[in-house]
Amino acid sequence: MEYIIKNGIVYDPLNGINGEKMDICVKDGKIVESVSDKAKVIDASGCVVMPGGVDSHSHVAGAKVNVGRMFRPEDSKMEIFAKKGLRTGTGFSVPSTYKTGYQYCEMGYTTVIEAAMPPLIARHTHEEFLETPQIDKAAMPLFGNNWMVLEYLKEGDIKACAAYVAWMLKATKGFAIKIVNPGGTEAWGWGKNVHSLDDPVPYFDITPREIVRGLAEVNELLGLPHSIHVHPNNLGHPGNWETTLETMKCVEGIKAKPKVGERETVYYNTHCQFHSYGGTSWKDFESKALEIAEYVNKSKHAVIDVGQVTLDETTTMTADGPMEYDLHMTNGLKWANCDVELETGSGVVPFIYSPKGPVYSVQWAIGLELFLYTNTDKVMLTTDHPNAGPFTRYPRVIAWLMSKKYRDEWLYNKVHKWAQQRSHVADADKEYDLYEIAKITRANQAKVLGLSETKGHLGVGAEADIAIYEIDPEEKDGKKIEKAFRYAKYVLKGGEVVVKDGNVVKEMFGDTIYLDVQVGEELMKEVLKDVEEKFRRYYSVNLDNYPVSEEYAHSWRPIKIDATDIN
Amino acid sequence: MKELILTLQKEIIVPVEMDKVLPEVIEKMSLEEIKNIELVQGRKRVKLDDIFDVELNDIEGEPRVVIKNSNQKLKYIGSKMTKGEVIVEGDAGMYVGAEMKGGKIVVNGNADSWAGQNMKGGELLIKGDARDYVGSAYRGDWRGMSGGTIIVEGNAGNEIGEFMRKGVIHIKGDVGIMAGIHQNGGMIIIDGNADVRVGGEMKAGAIIVYGKVEEVLPSFKFEGIVENPIIKLSKKDEGTPVTGTFYKFIGDYVNRKPKGQLYISVDSNPDLI
Ligand SMILES: [Zn+2]
Repeated sequence: MEYIIKNGIVYDPLNGINGEKMDICVKDGKIVESVSDKAKVIDASGCVVMPGGVDSHSHVAGAKVNVGRMFRPEDSKMEIFAKKGLRTGTGFSVPSTYKTGYQYCEMGYTTVIEAAMPPLIARHTHEEFLETPQIDKAAMPLFGNNWMVLEYLKEGDIKACAAYVAWMLKATKGFAIKIVNPGGTEAWGWGKNVHSLDDPVPYFDITPREIVRGLAEVNELLGLPHSIHVHPNNLGHPGNWETTLETMKCVEGIKAKPKVGERETVYYNTHCQFHSYGGTSWKDFESKALEIAEYVNKSKHAVIDVGQVTLDETTTMTADGPMEYDLHMTNGLKWANCDVELETGSGVVPFIYSPKGPVYSVQWAIGLELFLYTNTDKVMLTTDHPNAGPFTRYPRVIAWLMSKKYRDEWLYNKVHKWAQQRSHVADADKEYDLYEIAKITRANQAKVLGLSETKGHLGVGAEADIAIYEIDPEEKDGKKIEKAFRYAKYVLKGGEVVVKDGNVVKEMFGDTIYLDVQVGEELMKEVLKDVEEKFRRYYSVNLDNYPVSEEYAHSWRPIKIDATDIN
Repeated sequence: MKELILTLQKEIIVPVEMDKVLPEVIEKMSLEEIKNIELVQGRKRVKLDDIFDVELNDIEGEPRVVIKNSNQKLKYIGSKMTKGEVIVEGDAGMYVGAEMKGGKIVVNGNADSWAGQNMKGGELLIKGDARDYVGSAYRGDWRGMSGGTIIVEGNAGNEIGEFMRKGVIHIKGDVGIMAGIHQNGGMIIIDGNADVRVGGEMKAGAIIVYGKVEEVLPSFKFEGIVENPIIKLSKKDEGTPVTGTFYKFIGDYVNRKPKGQLYISVDSNPDLI
């Protein structure tokens, strides 16, 4: 099948194309130089054309997402998806899998990374991927509280740790190294937490600093496409900005050495909004977003995604077990808690970010500040779906960024005055243009994930994942911006039209991306002995039943990494 | 004003949702329009006059819907209604009066579970028995009934008034387990007996039991015996006078600083303490 997308205004940051009227040719699922005169014409006049959206951090599949669905029937009732020819679905903040896929697709997103996969429950994550249509997906296994990682790093055995990570990525069909509250979730198993980078983890006697630094070294030794993906300690606590900066600093000096992709950074700080808090309590709580943005801007090694609070009723879920307990004690709402043997833990709590709440309003402002004051090459749009709000609110976040008028309407009329008093969001005159929107919703993600060879751009050879939005580049009407990005005019996935006028017109299943990393055979043999020992002594499952097997995807897309030089 | 009389033509197997047939809706419609109202039945839709004989009369006063030959396959009767009257001749299915804001529903028969779920105002009168979750919250929600009055002349099932915040539930017969679970306001009056765990995890509001209780949870604190108490639900509340002699408990102390009041008849439970 051939297509030619005519007369659209193209925004393709990875190729430096900033609002040029040009045609895009598509053949056999790829973007090509030219097509024959048999190509179907897609008229994009009056529209903008961007690469398909890439979400680098979202909780869409797996055990804790499903706990959220199960223990919040009242959330299911809030939004119902029923369109002819498509599977029905429910859920506003924790939508069912089909609804998730369809709605991402309606917004022009074509690739989504599940942000936290407990290795032991990898199968559940992939099972849900099997039922999530329209998008390519990948999942990041959790390593920051894993017993074997803690032990190898304590011993200073970076190579063995690297081999273990390689084995785990393949066994769980995982994509990158995710670190959540390093050491803190393990401490939670003892009813404790860690509160600073040098707070030792009970029993293991290793510090968060050693965990983060160690895994960053492992990541670059293996040459993985993505960097370490970090949710630092003290999430959501007033005064945590210092921990955040210290964590960013603790990996300074490590060089990015991806064997695949064009990544230049070694540190990805996710949902930075939750980590940019000043003050000592909720009473003197204030924004430290500018301090964080300033550091990120001058540091080559770090990028952030924001985790923008959207001021909705939502569901929080994270592998940061102790944090969810704190949250439950704060808002008094129901709480689910889980320990995953030897590996990690998690918690789930509903949360209502009321616009009239002083603290929530500051959280909202902090997110916007991070967008408005960070170099747009170093920041990415997320809501840490569904923690700070559901992904279906991305269009509203885009509208806040593109229109100061719309932003101010919220700032002065809808949210609590603390947002003006305790942040600098009111001082920011910046308005994003569409080139910058394309950066923070697809280009930056593709690059930092190491997927930019074929994703996040519209150059020849790229996957034909394309989003076409009906919007005037100068549009300042918030509602219109929101509508245009919520319901794309057209979306192409793998070279086929899957959305037309905001409706999914073709159901299809994307690939599941994972890393297939080979390290030296001898080293792997040694490490496997340790793995077998751990399973024999501690795991409640058999090693043979642990790896995710071949039937767990519609189509696997392995990224092969040769690290056999690690012996 | 208008009176709509619906007579169910025959037994139905798949339940029908009646939430489109409300007094305030039919008030503005012609007979033809009313006959063509689409109702959800399972995964299909039916027209009102496919399953009912439809009669429309002019009457004095508020608009009224009468459902004759009703049974428990008719769900969501009077759901979200704001005014007028709904009269059910026969039984009502699940969710009768769910989320109702005003007006009155009379069920001249029994009601299935979830009667008056998340009710906000108005009056729901059930002349027979009601099953579980009378005046409860939507499943999973912690924001329950916020106003109105529910009266059940017969017995009621388990977990009545779950997460209730305001309003009154009066059960003239017996109730099952966990009446007033998670209650956070409002008043539940039980004329008959109550099974175990009355007021479990309640934080505020009051429960009055005239009949026999199976037990009082150990996390309730005995305050003494009171005679003809005037029950106040807040500082500003003028209070509701209640006749009789009661053991008064405060709870449930599984919560911090609970203000839930539990009154249990001394006459019916002479050996309770
Ligand atoms: Zn997250």
